[in-house]
Amino acid sequence: MRTRCLRILLHALAVTALALVASASAQVNPLAPEKAFRFSARALDPHTVEARFSIADGYYLYRDKLHFAVEPAASGLTVSSLPNGKIKEDQFFGRVETYRGNLIVTLQLQATPPGQRVVVQAESQGCADLGICYPPNIQRVTVALPAAGSAPTPIDEAPKKQWFK
Amino acid sequence: MGAAAILALAGGMALAVWDRAPRDASALFSLSLPDTSGQRQSLSQWRGKVVVVNFWATWCAPCREEMPEFVRAQREFGPRGLQFVGIAVDEPDKVAQFAKELELNYPALIGGYGAIELSKTLGNQLSALPFTIVIDRTGAIARTQLGPFKTDKLRSTIDNLL
Repeated sequence: MRTRCLRILLHALAVTALALVASASAQVNPLAPEKAFRFSARALDPHTVEARFSIADGYYLYRDKLHFAVEPAASGLTVSSLPNGKIKEDQFFGRVETYRGNLIVTLQLQATPPGQRVVVQAESQGCADLGICYPPNIQRVTVALPAAGSAPTPIDEAPKKQWFK
Repeated sequence: MGAAAILALAGGMALAVWDRAPRDASALFSLSLPDTSGQRQSLSQWRGKVVVVNFWATWCAPCREEMPEFVRAQREFGPRGLQFVGIAVDEPDKVAQFAKELELNYPALIGGYGAIELSKTLGNQLSALPFTIVIDRTGAIARTQLGPFKTDKLRSTIDNLL
C-alpha cells in the first residue's frame, strides 16, 4: 500500500515537473520565425515548382499575407489558388483564414527555359498560440529547374532568416 | 581548475545576459515619433514618470487583446505618475481606427517596421509582438516582456515602481 502511494506520488511529481518544464519552455523560448514557418521548394517538372511551408505545432500563418515571387521576374509566374484555410473571426479584420501543419502551393513558371535556376521567394506572416505574432518575413530558396523530361529534384530548404527586402 | 572554469562560465553567462538586456532607456528617450495625427512626439516628455512602452500592431491579435487592460491601468495609475506609450509597427490609418474603437487613453505613436529594429536593441531578440518595456522614474528598464503581460504581473510591477 505504501509502495503504491509512493509510486502515485512520484508519478504525480514527474507529471508536474514535465508540465512545468513544458510551460517554462513555451514561455521562454518561442521559435524564430524561419523555424516556426519552414519554407522549402522543389521543381516538379521544367515549368512547375512546389512550394511548401512546414508550420510547427502551435503556430499558424495568415492566408492573405502569403505572397510568392520568382527571380528572374520574367519567369511568367502564376500561383495556383491557395488552399482554403481555417476560418477565424477577427474582431478588427473580420473573417480571416489561417494555415497550420503543412501548406503546399504550386507555382507555374511558363516563361522559364528548362534547366534554369530560379529563386523562389515567399513572404509570410504568422503568430504563435502562446500569444506572439511575427512581422512579415521573407524566405528565399534557389531551385534548379530540370531539363525537359527529367525527374523531380530534391527539396531545397530556405537557408537562413531574411527580414524584409 | 574546475572552480575557475565554473567561474568563467558564470561570468560569460552574466555578460551574455548583460549584453542582451540594456538597463537604461536613454536611447528610447532620445526618440521622437509621429502620433496618429502626424504630430511628432518626443518620448523625453515622459521622462521621470513610470513609463510602459508597448510595441504592438493591429495585425497582431494578441497585442489587441491585452490593450483594454492597458487602458484600465492607465486610467487607474495615471494620476500616480504612470504613462503608457504605444509604438505601432503599423500604418497610421489602421492605428487611428483601432485607437478610436478602443477609446485609447494614451499616445499611439507610429513606428512602422523600423520599430521592430528599435525593439531589438531593447532586448526583443525574436522581433515578435507584443513586446513591452517598463521603465522606472530614473530611466532604468525595470522589466521587459515578450508576449502578453499577465494582468497581475503588470499591476504589481507598476505598483512597485510608483
